Amino acid sequence: MAANDHTAFDRVGALLDGRKEFRPAGNWEFKPQEAEGGCGVTGFACTIPVRGKNIYEPSIQMRNRGNGKGGGIAACGLVPEDFGVSRSVLEESYLFQVALIDPAARGDVEKEFIDPFFTIDQGGIIPTVKDHRDVPLLEVKPPDVARYFVRVKPDVLDRFAVEKNLKALSDREIEDEFVYQNSFRLNNKYYASMGEKRAFVLSHARNLLILKVVGFAEAVVQYYCMENSRAHVWIAHQRYPTRGRVWHPGGCHPFIGMNEALVHNGDFANYHSVCEYLAQRNLFPQFLTDTEASIMLFDLMNRAYKYPIEYIIESLAPTTELDFDRLAPEKQRIYREIQSAQIHASPDGPWFFIIARNLIKNGFQLLGITDTAMLRPQVFALQEGEVSIGLICSEKQAIDATLANLAKEDKRFSPVADLYWNARGGSSTDGGAFLLNVTPEAGGVNGEAPSYKLEITNKFGAPVSTRKGQVHCDFTAPVVISKVNEDARALQTALDANDPSALFGYLQTAIEGMDYNRLRWCVKEIAGKAAAAFGIEVLTLCIDRRYPTGAKKRSSVIVICREGLESIFSSQPLLNGPMAGPFRRITWDTRALLRGPGDGEKTLLIDARGFQPEGDHCDAYLAVDAFHMGWRHIVHYNSRGTRFHAAGFGPATDGLRIDCYDNPGDYLGSGIDGLEAYVHGNAQDQLCQISKRGKVVVYGDVGQTFLYGAKGGDIYVMGNAAGRPMINAVGRPKVVINGTALDFLAESFMAGDPLTGGGFAIVNGLRVEDNGDITALELPYPGSNLLSLASGGAIYVRDPGKTLVAEQLNGGVFRKLKADDWKLIEPYLRENERLFDIRVERDLLTVGGERRKPAEVYRKVMPKSAVKKEELEEEEVGE
Amino acid sequence: MTTDFKQTATERLQTGEDFLAHPDFAEVTREIMQTGPRYRNEIGKYGIHRASTCISCGACVDTCAYGVHTRPAGYRQVVRPFDYRCIGPECEKSGRFCITGCPKHALTLDENPVFKTLGDQRWTPDLLAAIWHMAETGRRPPAHLESRVGNSGGGFDRLRFVFPSEPPMADLRREDIDTKLQLNKRKNDARPKVTIDVPWYGGGMSFGSTNIRAQLAKVRAARAWNTFSCTGEGGYPERFIPYKDNMITQVATGLFGVREETIQRARIVEFKYAQGAKPGLGGHLLGSKNTPAVAAMREAVVGTSLFSPFPFHSVYSIEDHKKHLDWIAHVNRTTLLSAKVSTPNDVEMVAVGSYCAGAHIVHLDGSYGGTGAAPNIAKKNIAMPIEYAISNVHQFLVAEGVRNEVSLIVSGGIRTPWDIAKAIAMGADGIVIGTAELVALGCIRCGCCEGGRGCARGICTTDSELLELLTVDWCTQRLVNMHNAFREILVDILYRLGIPSVAALRGRTDVLMHLDYDNEKVEK
Repeated sequence: MAANDHTAFDRVGALLDGRKEFRPAGNWEFKPQEAEGGCGVTGFACTIPVRGKNIYEPSIQMRNRGNGKGGGIAACGLVPEDFGVSRSVLEESYLFQVALIDPAARGDVEKEFIDPFFTIDQGGIIPTVKDHRDVPLLEVKPPDVARYFVRVKPDVLDRFAVEKNLKALSDREIEDEFVYQNSFRLNNKYYASMGEKRAFVLSHARNLLILKVVGFAEAVVQYYCMENSRAHVWIAHQRYPTRGRVWHPGGCHPFIGMNEALVHNGDFANYHSVCEYLAQRNLFPQFLTDTEASIMLFDLMNRAYKYPIEYIIESLAPTTELDFDRLAPEKQRIYREIQSAQIHASPDGPWFFIIARNLIKNGFQLLGITDTAMLRPQVFALQEGEVSIGLICSEKQAIDATLANLAKEDKRFSPVADLYWNARGGSSTDGGAFLLNVTPEAGGVNGEAPSYKLEITNKFGAPVSTRKGQVHCDFTAPVVISKVNEDARALQTALDANDPSALFGYLQTAIEGMDYNRLRWCVKEIAGKAAAAFGIEVLTLCIDRRYPTGAKKRSSVIVICREGLESIFSSQPLLNGPMAGPFRRITWDTRALLRGPGDGEKTLLIDARGFQPEGDHCDAYLAVDAFHMGWRHIVHYNSRGTRFHAAGFGPATDGLRIDCYDNPGDYLGSGIDGLEAYVHGNAQDQLCQISKRGKVVVYGDVGQTFLYGAKGGDIYVMGNAAGRPMINAVGRPKVVINGTALDFLAESFMAGDPLTGGGFAIVNGLRVEDNGDITALELPYPGSNLLSLASGGAIYVRDPGKTLVAEQLNGGVFRKLKADDWKLIEPYLRENERLFDIRVERDLLTVGGERRKPAEVYRKVMPKSAVKKEELEEEEVGE
Repeated sequence: MTTDFKQTATERLQTGEDFLAHPDFAEVTREIMQTGPRYRNEIGKYGIHRASTCISCGACVDTCAYGVHTRPAGYRQVVRPFDYRCIGPECEKSGRFCITGCPKHALTLDENPVFKTLGDQRWTPDLLAAIWHMAETGRRPPAHLESRVGNSGGGFDRLRFVFPSEPPMADLRREDIDTKLQLNKRKNDARPKVTIDVPWYGGGMSFGSTNIRAQLAKVRAARAWNTFSCTGEGGYPERFIPYKDNMITQVATGLFGVREETIQRARIVEFKYAQGAKPGLGGHLLGSKNTPAVAAMREAVVGTSLFSPFPFHSVYSIEDHKKHLDWIAHVNRTTLLSAKVSTPNDVEMVAVGSYCAGAHIVHLDGSYGGTGAAPNIAKKNIAMPIEYAISNVHQFLVAEGVRNEVSLIVSGGIRTPWDIAKAIAMGADGIVIGTAELVALGCIRCGCCEGGRGCARGICTTDSELLELLTVDWCTQRLVNMHNAFREILVDILYRLGIPSVAALRGRTDVLMHLDYDNEKVEK
């Protein structure tokens, strides 16, 4: 916004003044927030419209993030046929939906707020299932919903424009504002004012709708018969209100802005100050939740201030500390202005927003924004192909559940995403926000639906995309015999030598040249011919490691190898089956058969399907029982967010090995004391909390608060850690992170002196590309806080470019890497090499093609208080 | 009938504190034993001065009914008066008044000026001396001490019971009054129905903040009374293991010393989200108390201040909280879960949220409680007074229909059995006591707990020399005695109110009055 643009100021002034009547009589009085719990949020945006039932799975996956007392969905980019309206009505009219808590309120609402102002293209009560009790877990009957496709009558609009002095606005802006104010008045009369709550506006956007119930989110889709309704963008919210009795869904998410719907996971600490800010601009929350305040802020900045989306994100999640310093001077100037104007309204505390937006002519947008402190879990994912889809969720398994569901009904989807990542809130690198834009690219004339493309960018507009020139596998194609003899020969040779790693060595280079049929044939042969242990080892390596995949998407290669594993797993005998080797399998239906291992039985395979994600009926619980009965190798597969894997086994569990496939959930490895756990993929939050001793290997990324309060353990992570890893860790944890951490690594680390047995972390700052290339990240550690307030331990950062600066340390100092240090960390890097094929000489000690000495590559960070005074002086001169 | 503590304990004192080698030592009885102060001259309310005109006739020894004057066998002279036992001028009415009984008028009585300097308005000198008396004798304190209320001008000090003039239930006998409390109230819950014999248990004091001997005594007394003590957040020293059935493992924000085995051995695991004395702040252990032993237990660096973070880094919302509780429930399949929270404005939502997340016990910690280490700005200045919080939460849980599914345990400035009874009458199920236990061990509320070598009386210290000021047995017996006196007084209150059990007292605000609002009812 140009500072001297008077029309811009006129418009803002007119809009805000036009809402004066919203101001309650007398002095404005702050109404405290209705208590809100946490929740799970999910959303996806797709180049084709997909059915409502696809929002089921992620919602069901995240039931344990809600309590069934509030669920809601929003759908954006709808299909006109699903509503029996023309495309132009869908796109031009407002889709006005009123929840009738009191069904009798309909007449009054129409007489007062609809008929006098709107021309109606279609209107009526939307269909529902007959009896809400037919919908699982839906205890409270949801309100009737009246839906109208409306435009404001021209004379009404003219009068409104004059009365509110809105002539500086375009016609559509005036109409939007009318609709917005009309909803506010309706809510005020039938919901927010004292007395009985009878009705409220669910949504009033164009080509976007919101529905909510007192129940789980999936019940919304079922109750309002939305299973087959299609939309490009869906978002859903599982609410966890802590009040025991909730009888209407007014406080549920999503909340409507103008043409956007917002769901929120978190809780503001400064709700009061945000409300004051809003009140100064004649905006007054009616449902008394911070979610509603959030969308009011968003709409204010979007429609009144007309901030570009980047600036809206900046005003919500300001860039601070070192990240601010890293911005270009011009950007700093603008951000400083935004922050001075807006920071007292920036939501403070843990929050994560997912917003579905109708960008009108520019398609649709799914937007995920995380707070500056990154206190809520969030995962982004992308799948690019014939159809493309971008997803945002609180937990990764919900993403995979959505994709698995989509893949079942449409072969153009693959059950695994091509790319998963986290956002770094308020950062100079990605801004903590990603925009998933579904943009029309061709067609769209004569009422036809245009075709769309999916473009993902971060806050700064930098694109996110997957490797070009690769395609997904068509899994509906039959697998035919491959004529390539060398594959069969390699298999046979390896089988004869009983050397699975030799076979993997062959595949690692051969896969690049294979077509999908050849690879699938090959995997089928391995699964069918090799002994189970051999096949599992080879295919697990194929999943764990990165190598060139040629024209094939890595996600498809993973699916193929995973299917091979599945066929091995599922052919192993149940506990009551005939004796057939070292493996036994247990499933939900046969869990009662659990017994100790018989002669020669080594490994218990637990098929997690059907088990609960936590509690007495979770597979992690069964594993503990199995251990106590004597099993020393346990494999969990088909996990969908099971929590507490490798936890609860108690002290001294040396000799126990646990392998986790698919989507293990939070708290994996928490409290381990001796056991080893291998995660074949990404791990989630709270990994290895309070771990004491043992080993955990993660062939992917780990989530928030990894190793919080840990006492020890050797942990190897192939990818990145999210926020606050190793916080408050003590004792002697030893950690190798090959990627980086978002921020706050090893805050309050108290792990003694690493050279005399204390703990440390090695941050390699590398990216293992999905073709196996290993490249250095631009910044090995981008966060503003490293080893803050620590009293012990050390961090070894691979930072040959000396990018780390003193400003990142709060109480820490850089030290030269000495021979003792290298002697200490080298064995861990060797083990890291063995596990991930990240080689010490080739990948770690080579910089720009040149071999370097360890001290030229690694820098040591340790607490200033742990350095002897005389040494400190000597060293600081040298730095 | 009481026996003298010293006679039975001598042998144990000689063998030190090696309870692991002597599992029988872990057994403690409820038997009360006279357990005098650790110091020759305990601070009392009154001073008795003996002038040089004394002829050692021994008349005072025969006169005094309270043991102020003694002449041990074989002594010619009467020893210096134990004047902390003196009941003051009131004694004159008894006819056994040494001052007038002395033939040489050698004795004078005055108020002890030091006594008035003790404590503060909340913990008045009288309350301190009353707890000392209970800890010494196991019996209710003498009348010359105001042992029911302090002088804070608010809170429990303005609340009174309204007793009927006659006990309303003629057939109610004191010995039939039930003081048991069942801690797991969840109906559809397979976890054990843990029951304690008195409606209170001991608060968490960490290894690092408190003398290990005081900690051991706390848990031993808890064992004697079939109730609990709590580790605090400094880890679980092995010396507690013989008492594991009476020890709550605390999981606090620093996660110091929390390991699976310490979670697995506890019948109750307490999540410390916040402390009433310093809501919004984590635990503070200043560097000077972080000795090699403490640092080893916490696996931290010797001599550095250990600040626990103010939140659980893994818990920022209710679903995180549920997950957190699920985690401990997974690790220990039989333990009860307690969520300790402070009292913010929306404390009732916090309470019901904790219940929804699976907690068996919601533990509210109000602002009157306090550790020496809490910054002064935080103490008493943040959060809601506990008596408001109790009523709010109790009524809210009733309205939500879940009151009988969760135990509401409260703490924070609950000093006496009177406070305990008032808190229960306002709606709590039970109480956590903390400071009272320390006072029983000789705390004078000087407030110098956190820095330097710690407590000058050896209670809250980790200093190797000061630790020696306490013995486990002495401390244990003082606490056993105090619990007995507490229970006696509580039973008496119930008897006078005609209420047959502690459970039936819950929520009976009708038996309470507030001096500021309720002038018609008069305390009897």
